[in-house]
Amino acid sequence: MSIRTSFEEATEAYQIPKLIRLGPNLFCACFTLMKMIPARFILRRALQDGRLEASTVIVETTSGTFGLALAMQAVHMDRRLILISDPVIDERLHRRLTDLGAVVERVPAAASAAVGGYQAARLERLAEVRAELPATFCPEQYSNPDNPRSYATVAEVLLECLGQVDCVVGPVGSGGSMCGTMTYLRSVLPECLAIGVDAQRSVLFGHPDGPRELRGMGMSLMPANLDHRVFDSVHWCSAREAYAATRQLHRLHALFMGPSSGAAYLVARWWAKANPSALTVVLLPDEGYRYQDTVYNDEWLRGKGYLDQPTPEEPIVVADPGAPQGSWAAYDWARRPLAEVLAASHASRGDLGPPTMPATSAAVPTSQ
Amino acid sequence: MAALEQDTAGLEVGVGYAPAHHGELMQGMFTDDSGQLRRALVSLPQPDRGTRAVFYPSHSHWGVVAAPEFTKVRRAALLALRELSTHPASPKGGQVEIISDVPRGIGMGSSTSDVAATIRAVADYHGMPLSREEVGRLSVLAECASDSVMIDDRVVLFAHRDGIVLETFAPRLPSMIVIGCDTEPGAKVDTLALQPADYCDDEIGAFQVLRGALRRALATEDVQLVGRVATASARINERFLPKPNLEILLAECLRNGGCGIQVAHSGTVAGMIFDARRPGTQEGVQRSISFIEELGLVLTAMINTESATAGTGTAAVPMADARANA
Repeated sequence: MSIRTSFEEATEAYQIPKLIRLGPNLFCACFTLMKMIPARFILRRALQDGRLEASTVIVETTSGTFGLALAMQAVHMDRRLILISDPVIDERLHRRLTDLGAVVERVPAAASAAVGGYQAARLERLAEVRAELPATFCPEQYSNPDNPRSYATVAEVLLECLGQVDCVVGPVGSGGSMCGTMTYLRSVLPECLAIGVDAQRSVLFGHPDGPRELRGMGMSLMPANLDHRVFDSVHWCSAREAYAATRQLHRLHALFMGPSSGAAYLVARWWAKANPSALTVVLLPDEGYRYQDTVYNDEWLRGKGYLDQPTPEEPIVVADPGAPQGSWAAYDWARRPLAEVLAASHASRGDLGPPTMPATSAAVPTSQ
Repeated sequence: MAALEQDTAGLEVGVGYAPAHHGELMQGMFTDDSGQLRRALVSLPQPDRGTRAVFYPSHSHWGVVAAPEFTKVRRAALLALRELSTHPASPKGGQVEIISDVPRGIGMGSSTSDVAATIRAVADYHGMPLSREEVGRLSVLAECASDSVMIDDRVVLFAHRDGIVLETFAPRLPSMIVIGCDTEPGAKVDTLALQPADYCDDEIGAFQVLRGALRRALATEDVQLVGRVATASARINERFLPKPNLEILLAECLRNGGCGIQVAHSGTVAGMIFDARRPGTQEGVQRSISFIEELGLVLTAMINTESATAGTGTAAVPMADARANA
């Protein structure tokens, strides 16, 4: 019993998901910029608690969407922001960040050859920057508990709009969105299922680290905010499958989203069809503008060989989460901690050591 | 009305009524429109029980007289008199008589119902009925924290220490039956002595989610979802004022087709929630009543929200037909 009112500032509007029906039992929570939720929450809390004085500089190592969200919120708060990035940062994003007043520092290209790659070089530079400045605040999206906590707002919207939700599917990066949303959703709906979608050769759910083309999901380092016990099952997608699904999402539903959204849509569509009585929600984190020259460009896709093969109808169900299949695979995670899952799969494989690294893992780790 | 003071003889009196409640559907910490966190609750009214207050004015003596245990009632009457002091016929003071059938100290709102009835009685004497929100504000001033029984024309999220409505959810509760019992017979909770719950950040996040769920549940008359919200709120409260047998009562309720459990967050009563429109509910209710009696617990309420009269401020004699439905 309330009327619609205006937003106080842009970031308040940006964080609200749009709930859209994609099928009889499938809805998406569609974001312009999902990372706005943790960015805004973390910075506003820091301001409230006095950790963000007028002279305090916000520093962070991201150059992705979290950085963009921080830069936008920093405008509202009139705070300086330094982002430590690397040479592979998208030029258009770089221009947008600097226009918002952020200082974007790029670590040298040579860093990619060193141990730890760009990620280590960026962390090192972050420490240097912080040492040089009298007062800094680092949001630390990968370990700050305010990241998952900020997603109470998504659980609130889902419950208010849908009431009953049987399954949530979403891509996993920092762990914040899926772990936060599910934990809060389960305070009312304890039986609601969670399906995490990861990239091939991401360490999040047991794959050995390796080069990843698929952006916006998957990690080379394990984030503290990822609580593995939240997930009922885990899917891994290839870049090709994610890109094809991203385009289908656009062509069938007119939703112009990025490839992590496509990957989640692939899994959610399959799951909703296989479970017609279950209401399924898929999280679509951000829009497709950054991928217009790639995912939305047939020539580029063809050149990469991505148009040669059709996407499988369903995932390969694997018994060992540590062995990348290279294509869509699913594993019954059953809300277990990572160590327990790895121990069980090693035992079933008959070895007790860590999974053997595929040849590709010797290559340069990716930077996001 | 034997104890009339001489100077009140021949003068009119004021009468007021306020119902009891049976704990809350939800209680926690929520943001107001400005983003500030406030403690707030959604009361579950118990219209079968309540307090009737009679105000006898005095034009010769300052102050308010009431039975010694009614400190809050005296304070409420004084606050109401001060509020209405510009009225030409406003008396200097008076006497308040309380007639109540609300059990004391178990979280059924005996104190708020005394206080709200008193404020209404004083206002009634002046012929100036106060709005529900004004009665709410004065009640909080009189007793620090009040539930929202005086706001009886809609379901609200009420900031019980500030006396303000944070949100109106719906005109009325959906059709549900609540079977209440005292989980700790003999124990009494002193609301004033109880430390306000020190909610952690995760709990405050959960309350935001519960609020969204309850908004939907009440707007769509989804008793199932009301039950889930009430259960979640009751479980969070276990950290602060645990109810013996809460999980046992919840399991029995669900087994009998019920929707969840609600509690008095600062009392000892708990209630099993049933969807009144669902087939088989009467049987489930009967089985639950037997279960409560077998546990040796005392039944405290049998609320049927359908038979509850929509309040009019100075409510009439409470209806007893909820009990007849059993």
